[in-house]
Amino acid sequence: MASLHLQDLTVEFPIYQANGRSLKKALFSAPMGTNLARDAANRILVRALSHLTLTIDKGDRVGLIGPNGSGKTTLLKTLAGIYEPTSGALHTQGRVSALLDVQMGMNPDATGRENIMLRGMYMGIHPKDMQVHVEEVVEFTELGPYIDMPVRTYSAGMMLRLAFAASTCVEPEILLMDEWLAAGDSHFLAKAQKRMEDFVQRSSLMVLASHSLELLEKWCNKGLYLRNGNVIAYGPLAEVAAVYQQSLAET
Amino acid sequence: MTVAGKPLSAQAGPVQTNRPATPNRGRLALRDLANGMNQHWLWRAMAMQDIVLRYRGSVLGPLWLTFSTAIMIAAMGFVYSQIFHLDPERYVPFLTLGLLVWQFISSVITDGCSAFMSVQHAIQQVRLPYTVHVLRSVFRNLLILGHNAVLIPIVFLMMGHGIGWEALMVIPGLVLLCINGFWISILLGMLSARFRDVPPIVAALLQVIFFVTPVFWTVETLGKYRHVGDFNPLFAAIDVVRAPLLGEPFAPYSWQIVGTMTVGGLLVTAVFFSRFRSRIAYWV
Ligand SMILES: Nc1ncnc2c1ncn2[C@@H]1O[C@H](COP(=O)(O)OP(=O)(O)OP(=O)(O)O)[C@@H](O)[C@H]1O
Ligand SMILES: [Mg+2]
Repeated sequence: MASLHLQDLTVEFPIYQANGRSLKKALFSAPMGTNLARDAANRILVRALSHLTLTIDKGDRVGLIGPNGSGKTTLLKTLAGIYEPTSGALHTQGRVSALLDVQMGMNPDATGRENIMLRGMYMGIHPKDMQVHVEEVVEFTELGPYIDMPVRTYSAGMMLRLAFAASTCVEPEILLMDEWLAAGDSHFLAKAQKRMEDFVQRSSLMVLASHSLELLEKWCNKGLYLRNGNVIAYGPLAEVAAVYQQSLAET
Repeated sequence: MTVAGKPLSAQAGPVQTNRPATPNRGRLALRDLANGMNQHWLWRAMAMQDIVLRYRGSVLGPLWLTFSTAIMIAAMGFVYSQIFHLDPERYVPFLTLGLLVWQFISSVITDGCSAFMSVQHAIQQVRLPYTVHVLRSVFRNLLILGHNAVLIPIVFLMMGHGIGWEALMVIPGLVLLCINGFWISILLGMLSARFRDVPPIVAALLQVIFFVTPVFWTVETLGKYRHVGDFNPLFAAIDVVRAPLLGEPFAPYSWQIVGTMTVGGLLVTAVFFSRFRSRIAYWV
């Protein structure tokens, strides 16, 4: 029974390295940055997520949408437990698998096969347990002889195939994906989508960030529209997509 | 659907209250440590991979580590036994052990500074116990020490230096050094992630400390200032490993100093790690 529950969750990044004075000046005329703020010690903060309260339940395939810098990646990383919330709470039920970056845990000098094991290790799967899945992963990638070549020789889409297949070989309960599916060709995307739907049907949930409404419509049944770290709309995908398109048209 | 925070359907309905309370910071830090220890296969494999990949494609592979240390010992052994007018049969084993342990300590400290920053990518992409990164860094240096340790029997044989039962005391000595390396790496790793000036400061200090610590010269040569050497914590750390292998008595305060450092350091680190652990992902 996978579920995610966010309660008044806020994530703020203190900016230490920035040139304080010029940034402070910029604060007064911030164009994009309504999420720039200052803390008690007058340090500059980016409030990437602001007081989020929402629940994602089993069976939900949530599409995250919003302009650049709206907090999509930050939300995924927080759900994955990488950033602990500055305030508020996150309650997670289920094993999280995060596919945030294709390169994660990959070593360009190691072969595809070796990288399957490496990625498994980073996901906390013992090499012995991972061994069982290797052949199945190799098959899913359809990379043929390339699987025994160093991954530095791979194209972006081949890399994506390997990463996706390796990350999903042990059935995830909560699957978080940032927008990197775009590199896949339509044959692979269809196959990946099928795999995802099977997972989600068997009591898991998925959150996927993308700028492509078209892709979200294929993959998701719910939408979450973020802007400046605030939830603008959350609900059935079609309705959220309508709100999103309307606000795009307004600006 | 919810628009701008206003619930339009039951989806965002009343917040459930029967959720477990979030555990406190100290508990989370302990859990981090326990999970890190549990996943020992992970940091062991990562550390081995670090070494294998560094030497992939080279002819000697990790034996380069041993080889370069051997050259250093041969050169320094020859020059300094002349300068100090020492008998090479006594001086070279002393120098070998001193250099090996010093290399271990100093690289644990420098790698400790980058324990979190060098794995920034992993920290930003996947949730792992933070102690995993630190254990990986300490273990990697232990593996390097293992490669260098091949030289000890070779040097001892060449110099006709025996070894006795008291040599077994290196085991507790090494264990204590590793524990100290562990807390130092957490502390320096966090400080370096937050304050980028820390690694160069530490590197500069280590360079100076190498020359003022009895690594390649003996503490006796300090004469009436000998206590300056005896109270040097880095000397104490070297002494607890070197003295038993040489079959010599420990310097008077070595165990006390190393023991105190272990306990004190662990306590300070526990407080610090509990307080700031969750910030590491934001700092790196
Ligand atoms: N490590 C960081 N340090 C400081 N600020 C950060 C950090 N990561 C993200 N931010 C800020 O948080 C906000 C949200 O960023 P995030 O990467 O989550 O956006 P996004 O919705 O994923 O954007 P994109 O569509 O471009 O991928 C931005 O204002 C960004 O500047
Ligand atoms: Mg992003």
